[in-house]
Amino acid sequence: MHEWALAEAVIEATAGALGGRDPSCLRGVTVLLGELQAIDREIFTFALETLLQERPFRAASYTLQTEPARFRCTTCERDWTLAECTSLEGDAREAIHFLPETAHAFVRCPSCGSPDYRVQAGRGVRIESLTLDRAGSCA
Amino acid sequence: MIDPRPSVVAARLAGIGRIAAFCSAKGGVGKTLCTTLAGLALAARGKNVGILDLDLQGSTAHLFLGVRPGMPREDKGILPLPVTDLESARGGGLVLMGAGVFAGNRALALRGHEVSDAILELLAVTIWGPLDALLLDLPPGIGEEVMDLARLVPRLQAFVVSTPSAASTAVVERLLAFLSEVKVPVAGVIANMTRGDDSSVRDLASRFDARYAGEVPWEPQVEPALGSAARLGQTAAAAAMDAVLKGAGW
Repeated sequence: MHEWALAEAVIEATAGALGGRDPSCLRGVTVLLGELQAIDREIFTFALETLLQERPFRAASYTLQTEPARFRCTTCERDWTLAECTSLEGDAREAIHFLPETAHAFVRCPSCGSPDYRVQAGRGVRIESLTLDRAGSCA
Repeated sequence: MIDPRPSVVAARLAGIGRIAAFCSAKGGVGKTLCTTLAGLALAARGKNVGILDLDLQGSTAHLFLGVRPGMPREDKGILPLPVTDLESARGGGLVLMGAGVFAGNRALALRGHEVSDAILELLAVTIWGPLDALLLDLPPGIGEEVMDLARLVPRLQAFVVSTPSAASTAVVERLLAFLSEVKVPVAGVIANMTRGDDSSVRDLASRFDARYAGEVPWEPQVEPALGSAARLGQTAAAAAMDAVLKGAGW
């Protein structure tokens, strides 16, 4: 359940991004969950809801979106997706879940077998946007 | 787009008394040995110590301490692995985290931004709990690891490791200059793998007004002790490191 640690980070980063603004003006937060990290949405949501109990912006809605993982080989320029990483099994998936960079220990380019590739998208957890109320005292 | 992870790093490290990076711009000078010996020496004094192996591409701290790679336990984050082969009459403890825990002996080829991402992830999700000290084992160079830690880790100090060789001191000099620029205090400069009298590392520290913490003489009993925390902790090198730490006020 290390999702808790990342959910806590999202909440703290949200608070930081609000700066001096009235926390009650926060309407929504869109969070991208990188497919590679395979965050458990149920645990992540539960952690967010629990941790938000004590926060002044607890009424804000959190939208979780999965960002598909995309890889590009630096050697042959092949693009591929996580679905093509068919050899990934238990411990490898768990290692990547904890530390996405360990993908480089387990995943190879499906065309040329190179370990030299970039994770173009879908690595881990990020906040895509915050939505603020622009009406009334929040304007 | 906001990366949420930096916002929790300070909180994750808040329960830790002292934080020090063991670093050197030169490779092969014994940073991991110094880090692990320091962890063992502090644990022998009854301290609770963590080691974060940030030599992501060349992780060996787990090999030195006899910790088998494996998935960590979770408790609202990931928990460092305990060093079980440890003898501390005073009840100290030693725990370890690093990429080697996950990747084991596989090659982990990372580009610069991936190194930074991995460091940030480990700092954000590792739950150290209360510790007397956290020791950070760095790879050689003045790259992402040094810059990211200087930026992210509050109260960071550095133990700078060099051998007496001119090939080492000439390069380590650049690291000392860099640490001064980024305002990371040097807890001590360590002369490692010394053989006989040689003041070159002491002289180096003096040129930068840095504290010379002492030396860890080269010792043949270290190599056969690698892989056993208990045996490594009983070497003369471990005793020398304890004196070095005391020399640095640790």
